Amino acid sequence: MLRFLGKRLLQIIPILILVSIFIFLFVHMIPGDPARLVAGEDATIEDVELVRKELGLDKPIVEQYVTYMKNLVTGDLGKSLKTGREVSYEIGERFMPTFWLTVWSMSWAVVAGLIIGVVSATKRNKWQDYLGMFGAVSGLSLPSFWLGLMLIQLFAVTLGWLPSGGMDSWKSYILPAFTLGTGVAAVVARFTRSSLMDVLKEDYIRTGRSKGLNERRITWGHGLRNAMIPVVTMTGLQFGFLLGGSVVIESVFSWPGLGKLLIDSVAYRDYPVIQAEMLIFALEFIIINLVVDLLYGILNPQIRYE
Amino acid sequence: MKKTYGWLSAFVLVLLLVLAGCSDSGTKEGAGEKESDGKKATKEGNDLVIAVADNFTTMDPHDTNDTLSGSAQRTMMEGLVGFDKDMNVIPLLAEEYEANDEATEFTFKLREDVKFHDGTDFNAEAVKANFDRLADPESGLKRHSLFALIEKTEVVSDYEVKFTLSEPFGAMINTFAHPAALLHSPKSLEESGDDVAKHPVGTGPFKFVEWKPSEGLKIEKNEDYWKKGYPKVDAITFKPVSENGSRIAMLQTGEADFIYPVPTEQVEGVNGKNGIEVESEKSIVVRYMAMNTLKEPYNDVKVRQALNYAINKDAFIKVVMNGEGEKLDSVIAPDVQFYSQQELYEFDLEKAKGLLKDAGVKEGMKAKLWGGNSSSTVKAMEFLQQQLAAVGIEVEVVPMEAGTLSDKIWSVQNADDAELELYYGGWSPSTGDADWGIRPLLGGADAFPPKSYNVSYYDNDEANKLISAGLETADEDKRAEAYADVQKLLWDDAPWVFLSADNTLAGKKNYLKGVYLLPDGSLSVSEAEIE
Repeated sequence: MLRFLGKRLLQIIPILILVSIFIFLFVHMIPGDPARLVAGEDATIEDVELVRKELGLDKPIVEQYVTYMKNLVTGDLGKSLKTGREVSYEIGERFMPTFWLTVWSMSWAVVAGLIIGVVSATKRNKWQDYLGMFGAVSGLSLPSFWLGLMLIQLFAVTLGWLPSGGMDSWKSYILPAFTLGTGVAAVVARFTRSSLMDVLKEDYIRTGRSKGLNERRITWGHGLRNAMIPVVTMTGLQFGFLLGGSVVIESVFSWPGLGKLLIDSVAYRDYPVIQAEMLIFALEFIIINLVVDLLYGILNPQIRYE
Repeated sequence: MKKTYGWLSAFVLVLLLVLAGCSDSGTKEGAGEKESDGKKATKEGNDLVIAVADNFTTMDPHDTNDTLSGSAQRTMMEGLVGFDKDMNVIPLLAEEYEANDEATEFTFKLREDVKFHDGTDFNAEAVKANFDRLADPESGLKRHSLFALIEKTEVVSDYEVKFTLSEPFGAMINTFAHPAALLHSPKSLEESGDDVAKHPVGTGPFKFVEWKPSEGLKIEKNEDYWKKGYPKVDAITFKPVSENGSRIAMLQTGEADFIYPVPTEQVEGVNGKNGIEVESEKSIVVRYMAMNTLKEPYNDVKVRQALNYAINKDAFIKVVMNGEGEKLDSVIAPDVQFYSQQELYEFDLEKAKGLLKDAGVKEGMKAKLWGGNSSSTVKAMEFLQQQLAAVGIEVEVVPMEAGTLSDKIWSVQNADDAELELYYGGWSPSTGDADWGIRPLLGGADAFPPKSYNVSYYDNDEANKLISAGLETADEDKRAEAYADVQKLLWDDAPWVFLSADNTLAGKKNYLKGVYLLPDGSLSVSEAEIE
């Protein structure tokens, strides 16, 4: 187990190096001249060239890559072309807001999704199932952009209970976490339902029933535990996606997160910020994958780590 | 027990649905009930919140090229001269100024009662420190080029400073009023260097408190402000709120006292309700469609005029700008200095068709129209496409993302290689002077991309001469004459289809006075007051 963990952690290094090379190449392949975008709309050619020199973009690409990697090894992510601040500062400012929003959204979404999924599976083709799946399909289909604005209209404008945006108190989390979690809850509910329904058909469930276990024990103890593997995989993926920040949620709720930073950086060709963010996303997914793999073992001790 | 889960899940679902359902009716109620209620909104406290559309990029005016950051800087810092509500140059930290006839020497007499926020005296040395920084080509500052022609800055006496230019530049006073010419405390410049971008120290009505790029900027009242009785509010927080609907919601809930911009399509929904007023102000942003005059058939003035006649400008403003604009009747907008009104190309399909026929343009001619990819730009391009179809020109609309635009248009090295045929764009001359409204866009070969923005590739000796004449003197009358002539010439020669001048829209609670947008799209809050 420990050996497995150590091996997996060591694997992260070559993966990240490979990823960084790809990111660097892709980012520099996007059409568009960052010097011109940084210099601004009514800049003269002199300004543009000045900016290019100032940013080191006049150097050959190989040299730029070597500088980038050298700095990366020492933990220096460079400075944002747009604001001139350290990239670590720009990302640091926005990482925790995105992280906490993700945690809260996932928490309620997983709990709600599991409950809806289990009830739908056990009450298959009864009204609870129809209602649950109707809710799940609605949750998936509602554009979060629309849902967010509607929630703002109701809870902020009309009722005045919650703030319409920003990140000033715990109240600020409620609307964005609800909006962001809706889709996830729906996906979790659907996965749980179908997976649990398959499991409940298995022989060992029938055995359990025939030896007189009560339905609740069967569903939650034996059924759900075995049905969790695909749900955990999918939840891990969703967690990773949400950690990347959601442009829509961040725009609607003026949330200072990573999603909008990335979009702004791409529009601005802010190479250092794009590269750093992509690298962090890659790292997040690697870690989440690792955690998901470890969870498999807890759910099903037959799975062995090598 | 089984029942419990059923009910629990049903409850969660019902909650979900009720939320989604209710919120819809919530909007209708909110808007319906309070229809033009004429209510006076009230406000506790003396702090303002202003919601803006984007993050600020820097607090160093010398290194700023976005209007929004400039607006924030102007609350804390001031220049020698500034702009009033109509883009006229007014004295600020300078009491008076004079220029020699050749427009090469500019002398300013400074106010003697001003201190920077850090206690440093404002004097000629302070002015020199700032302009030496701006004029230094090694500084790497984005606004260096505006001041590159300052050859030297001399301290004449404690409160008198003289600038000598390397060449005549009649528009220099407007450049001194440009938001890039705001002054840092010399002490702060010396101690922090380029870090002044993170904590600006100026002489303005407000002092810097805190700035987090993603969360906003906080400023507080400068108790020792030189203009007695100002500012009238204690503190202002600027918050970046990029989504239009959310910005409006903040104004409705009272979380914001002032928002801008207000999207044109939402004006009707909020104006006059909940104590909200939407103010529409004229701006100096012009909209046009440039035609590449090096390419056939746009090298023929008849074709260019025909296109001008073929577009219904009233409809353009109504459809594309939701009525928030004025017909453009020169190459520059009315609030730009030395503007002179021209006679409109009235919408006339027959005349347009006749001119095209004279020019030998056949029915079904193909054209490519390039522009940005924002929804409003695409809408405008599609409108132009429809209108030109009526005179038999088949236009293909090609929206491009900023980086692609930069490659395909602004970085083209050789004029003959330019693929561009038609380009829809806009321009706001940030100095408020005719020169910056004309020269970068139509100022002959010197302004061709990649040097500048002349995408019409328009190069007319007569026009070039007049543009230069406007710069060779500081004599206002002579400048006005040159610019009147060049505007007439450009209008008749029509390198653009002249479309509109934008209005800017801001929303505010009706207890708020003294916050307004200037025609260059920047925000003025120094006279802000809560009633």
